Amino acid sequence: MKKLLSSLVLLAAFAVFSGCNKSAESPAPGADSSKSAKKLTIALLPKSKGNAYFISCQKGAQKAATELGDELIFDGPTGTDPAKQNEIVENWITLGVDAIAAACENKEGISTALRKAQAKGIKVITYDADALTDGRTFFVNQATPQGIGYTLMDQAAQLCASNGEFAIITASLTAANQQEWQKYIQEDRDKNYPDMKLVAVKPCDDLKDKAQSETTALLSTYPNLKLVMAICSPGVPGAAEAVKQAGKTGQIKVIGLGLPNENKIYVHGGVTQAVILWNTMDLGYLTVYAADAMAHGNLKPGDTSFKAGSLGTFEIKGDNILLGKPFVFTKDNIDQFDF
Amino acid sequence: MNTDKRTRKDNLFRHEAILLIVLVAEWIFFRAIGRNFGTYDNSCDILRHSCEIGLLALAMTPIILTGGIDLSVGSLLGLCAILFGKLWRDGHLPIPIAALCAIAAGALAGGLNAALITRLRLPPLIVTLGTFSLFRGLAEAITHGLDTFTNFPNSFLFLGQERWLGIPAQAPLFIAIAIFFWLLVHRTTFGRSFRAIGFAPEGARFAGIPAGRRVAMTYVLAGIVSAIAAIIYTARLGQAKADAGNGYELFAITAVVLGGTSIFGGTGSVHGTLLGVAAIAVLQSGIVHALQPSEMAGMLTGALLILALASSVLPKTISSLRARKSALKLAKQNA
Repeated sequence: MKKLLSSLVLLAAFAVFSGCNKSAESPAPGADSSKSAKKLTIALLPKSKGNAYFISCQKGAQKAATELGDELIFDGPTGTDPAKQNEIVENWITLGVDAIAAACENKEGISTALRKAQAKGIKVITYDADALTDGRTFFVNQATPQGIGYTLMDQAAQLCASNGEFAIITASLTAANQQEWQKYIQEDRDKNYPDMKLVAVKPCDDLKDKAQSETTALLSTYPNLKLVMAICSPGVPGAAEAVKQAGKTGQIKVIGLGLPNENKIYVHGGVTQAVILWNTMDLGYLTVYAADAMAHGNLKPGDTSFKAGSLGTFEIKGDNILLGKPFVFTKDNIDQFDF
Repeated sequence: MNTDKRTRKDNLFRHEAILLIVLVAEWIFFRAIGRNFGTYDNSCDILRHSCEIGLLALAMTPIILTGGIDLSVGSLLGLCAILFGKLWRDGHLPIPIAALCAIAAGALAGGLNAALITRLRLPPLIVTLGTFSLFRGLAEAITHGLDTFTNFPNSFLFLGQERWLGIPAQAPLFIAIAIFFWLLVHRTTFGRSFRAIGFAPEGARFAGIPAGRRVAMTYVLAGIVSAIAAIIYTARLGQAKADAGNGYELFAITAVVLGGTSIFGGTGSVHGTLLGVAAIAVLQSGIVHALQPSEMAGMLTGALLILALASSVLPKTISSLRARKSALKLAKQNA
């Protein structure tokens, strides 16, 4: 037995040693493929893998990779270990991918791994959730606060024929992103829809139940209310449920910033008229196109626009590639999305 | 007794040999199908990624040898990382002092486990299940689950991210601690007493072994090592957050058991644990390099554990079945 063991140790040592030799002789496949400007390997990192939101991104990403003839790796953490994203990225570095596109769970933590990737010549971009700016070249920004604010207000005005009272359900009165969106909602109203009157802003603490009770209270307080706008995702189905239970389906309109799946029944039931978010498939598609262009050297810092396949041209503001106007989910298109 | 000890030792040795074969097979397999798997860079990454769980597994080995368990090590890693970050950023302590304080806190936390287990005679599983929640809860309370400690100086990040003399900077520390545990378990009377306590707690006590003190020592050591792992972890990620080390206790226990240590105590080895850690780490890296989804790693680790344990007891089971068969035959003939 001892003899067997020692021969195994020798074998293991040999395996390790020959591995080192091989890597020293042949160049990394990453360098190889960029020279021939052909098949690239692009790695797409979601915040978490089981999240339907990212599965939807992956769909668009895969479409882009197929069009470009690139190989797409999609992998991410399945559990709650915050170190996992780093480990996956570090494995991709030695694997020799050409570009990494990451949606970052831990801004600071992941940036150490992304900086390392950049040092090894791998092109790095982020999408959905940004890293520290020195960890990547571009951030594919899915929505600007202005785009969200204006789209919400435009939709509301369209549904009310630019005239009438409306109320906002927000997550909390202090949350920075909510305040930012409200600022642009107000700005759009002041500029374009002076006859729309904002009568109340109520916080729901990101809870569906509270959004429902707040909406019920609003309905009785403001009899002339024409529309409820929920700007946090649990608020949209919450407000819709209140309107439905009050028997005012269709009479009082509901719109909001939310996810398609949890609003589908209300949209099909005619309670909710529009759900606003961004097109996740387009986000994945644009991200892969940008990663590919960077690895080929066709997209560089300082560029102001970028053409991504069948989606056309996108604006670049500083180091942000803008996905553009938010997407409006309605009765007609909501079933194409599953997240 | 002597022959029994002999066979237990043989079984353990056989298990370690099988595990080594598995490890080599994994390596050859992933080198064949994985892209850039066998490179020196990747070997360094594997070593780097297994340091924290490796440390926890090393500390877990003496505990399991005594028949105990410590579910709180992952949470304690999180708590110590937070304390370290807090003392450095908000307490304005220099990094080495903050690290020493975190290690002292780790020892204290390990001491709490030890006191509850040895003084109150509570089962280790229950005690550490409690402190598992307690330590994580404390970490979350200190940071409100949100606060993240970052922007550590580069001289500190070096420990987690750079190479020193061609190997990952945290490796020498890991190797030193591994040698310490190997000597402790295999070359001192402490180690012998751990096994004796695990094998027969009452017997050990009658033999004059201060069982309480020995057991307490293993938990305090685990606390200290968890704190060291917390510091390495913080340096590797460049951040300390309350969710650090989530689930690491189970990886550590898996590595120890995979390494041949009996979960009931009494038998096991530190080098077995190291083999177990390596087998899991190589598998996890190999899966990514073979472009397979990383959730496969969990599945295969489970399969590996069951396979390794089954294959090491299989020969014994077969021989005992054979013995029973022939005994039955003999009985029949006699009748």
